[in-house]
Amino acid sequence: MRAVLTLTRALIRTTVRNRQGFFWTLFFPIVIMLVFGLIGNGGGLQVNLAVAGPAGGTAAQVAAAFTAIPIFKVTRMDRAAALQAVRAGREDALLVVPAGPAPLAMHLYYNDANYIAAQEAVAAVQASVSALDLRLSGRPPSLTIAASPVSHSVQATLLDFLVPGIVALMIMQNALFSVGAGLTRWKEQGILRRFLATPLQPVQFLGAVVLNNLIISLATLAIVIWMAVDVLHARVVVPAGPLLAIAVLGIAVFLAIAFMIAGLSHSQEATIPIINFVTFPMMFLCGIFFPVTTLPAALARIVGFLPLTYLANAVRGLMSGQAAGFTPAITGDIIGLLAWLVVCGAIGARTWRWE
Amino acid sequence: MRGGPNGSPGRRKNLAGSALRVRGLTKRYGSLTAVDGLDLDIAPSAIFGLLGPNGAGKTTTLEMVEGLRRPDAGAIVYGDVDLVRRPEVARHRFGIQLQSSSFFPLLTVEETIRLFADLYPRSLPVLDLIDRFGLGDKRAARVQGLSGGQRQRLAVATALVHDPEVVFLDEPTAGLDPQARRNLWDLVSAFRREGRTVILTTHYMDEAEYLCDTVAVLDHGRVLDVGSPQDLIRRHLPGAVIELAPDVALPDGLPLPGLNRIDRSGERIALETGSLEETLVGLVTWARDAGQHLTGLATRGATLEDVFLKLTGRSLRD
Repeated sequence: MRAVLTLTRALIRTTVRNRQGFFWTLFFPIVIMLVFGLIGNGGGLQVNLAVAGPAGGTAAQVAAAFTAIPIFKVTRMDRAAALQAVRAGREDALLVVPAGPAPLAMHLYYNDANYIAAQEAVAAVQASVSALDLRLSGRPPSLTIAASPVSHSVQATLLDFLVPGIVALMIMQNALFSVGAGLTRWKEQGILRRFLATPLQPVQFLGAVVLNNLIISLATLAIVIWMAVDVLHARVVVPAGPLLAIAVLGIAVFLAIAFMIAGLSHSQEATIPIINFVTFPMMFLCGIFFPVTTLPAALARIVGFLPLTYLANAVRGLMSGQAAGFTPAITGDIIGLLAWLVVCGAIGARTWRWE
Repeated sequence: MRGGPNGSPGRRKNLAGSALRVRGLTKRYGSLTAVDGLDLDIAPSAIFGLLGPNGAGKTTTLEMVEGLRRPDAGAIVYGDVDLVRRPEVARHRFGIQLQSSSFFPLLTVEETIRLFADLYPRSLPVLDLIDRFGLGDKRAARVQGLSGGQRQRLAVATALVHDPEVVFLDEPTAGLDPQARRNLWDLVSAFRREGRTVILTTHYMDEAEYLCDTVAVLDHGRVLDVGSPQDLIRRHLPGAVIELAPDVALPDGLPLPGLNRIDRSGERIALETGSLEETLVGLVTWARDAGQHLTGLATRGATLEDVFLKLTGRSLRD
């Protein structure tokens, strides 16, 4: 045990001293959160809204009402020109107000090229419309009450959605890039061979590598979650026990994948592209930055079986605070993660060579 | 943790002063036989050199004796311990500097040596080791910033950290400048004075002649000959060598008195002779009659390098 702890301490030293690696481990997720946190922080959000409709109809009233809400920059246009503007990205959305008496079936056009901006615009318009509806129907206006949930709900969907995703992403990146790439590098440079010439057993070396990754991952997760909650005021809950359990399971799964990749590839030149090939699509498909449900149905079905999807879903389920503890959905994610752990662990054990 | 009450490598019977015996050592990789029934007797408290061209099986032999590789056949016995059955004894009692070993680049010199010290039940004082290997002013420097010579000294220091009885050095001075090589030679000579057995491989003949009490010349996984450098020279090349520049048009079958052999595998033509004076007179006569110039003519006694060329037919650095 003393040998394992000694080696673990040495590995932690080299991990922390590797500035470039540590940047990606810790500062990159913080930067992502800061950027999205600022976007979601009221002042940053602005929706350019075009309003079209027959002159003299309700359109003028609707436009005036939206102008009163600070986050909207409203422009009156005719329908064709406005559609052109939305398509070109000059306007975020177009609200078409038909002529005639209530109830009005308004239509909202938006450009889905920038998904996040589009979601913000749609959410803001929808929330405002329900508030405006009250006012236009002649009842007492409740605009001030309604306007604050608008900006709040947008802020909530962005950063709050992102934080659990970042947690899952960090677990994957940390395991694959530091351990997967590190193992092949140490093997190639002869560092592993030198340890095999001492009384240190291979399994002890492995233990130190796992322990190092566990400590570094959990410490950086703690820092990032603290930043999210206490500095950026993300509205997430942190159920420490269950979250720790899921994080450890996630680390185990991605360490197994790291060993599998290190075992299958024979040189460092091969390992890095393989790791990029594995992590890059998952980073964008597995519900880290936007929900899996927005993908085409066929793709979403496949993505649902990827390890990062299971991990992101489980972490988000816990941190969204909709239910305490492990819901049936989270239990399903845990089973998915265990399956990946067993399969990749078995392949890793068969393919890994110390020489 | 490791080991049991009987034969725990930690609680050790002193085997210092024991000989290493290797018999019929064999290692095959597919159809290639890297080590082919090798026999070695390595005396205690002496420096033993393994010489051979690249691919001769030196490193594979070392790694089997070190317990890093399992032989396909053969016996390795240290004192009365069968190392094939108990390679962990080798890992405790032998200190090893691998040919391509490197260390974590972001650790300091002291951290690296302490790391290795902590892997053994007992170790030499780390700061003494750092001083002894001339790394005192590099103690807090990271490994990545060390020069080649400093790195090699660090590698040898980590091989010595647990006070081993036998030290293995695989090309310890490869790529070092002459001063750094001399420096390491002094350190290695000191191991012998401390009663340690040293087993080394090298590409440098002067290194083998200077350091080794006994050398074994290997090729194709077999021992071609064993002895002290002087014995080998006397046995294989008792005469002298006449050297010529490679462009002298010397016919192969030229009947010169006293000539044993013409070797053209080196950088210069080497005429091995049992009688320097007679061969030289014959050579000069031939040159005058044939109208040739004896460019680069030089004579010298045979060296280990000549023995090596004669035994293996190849130069060391091929």
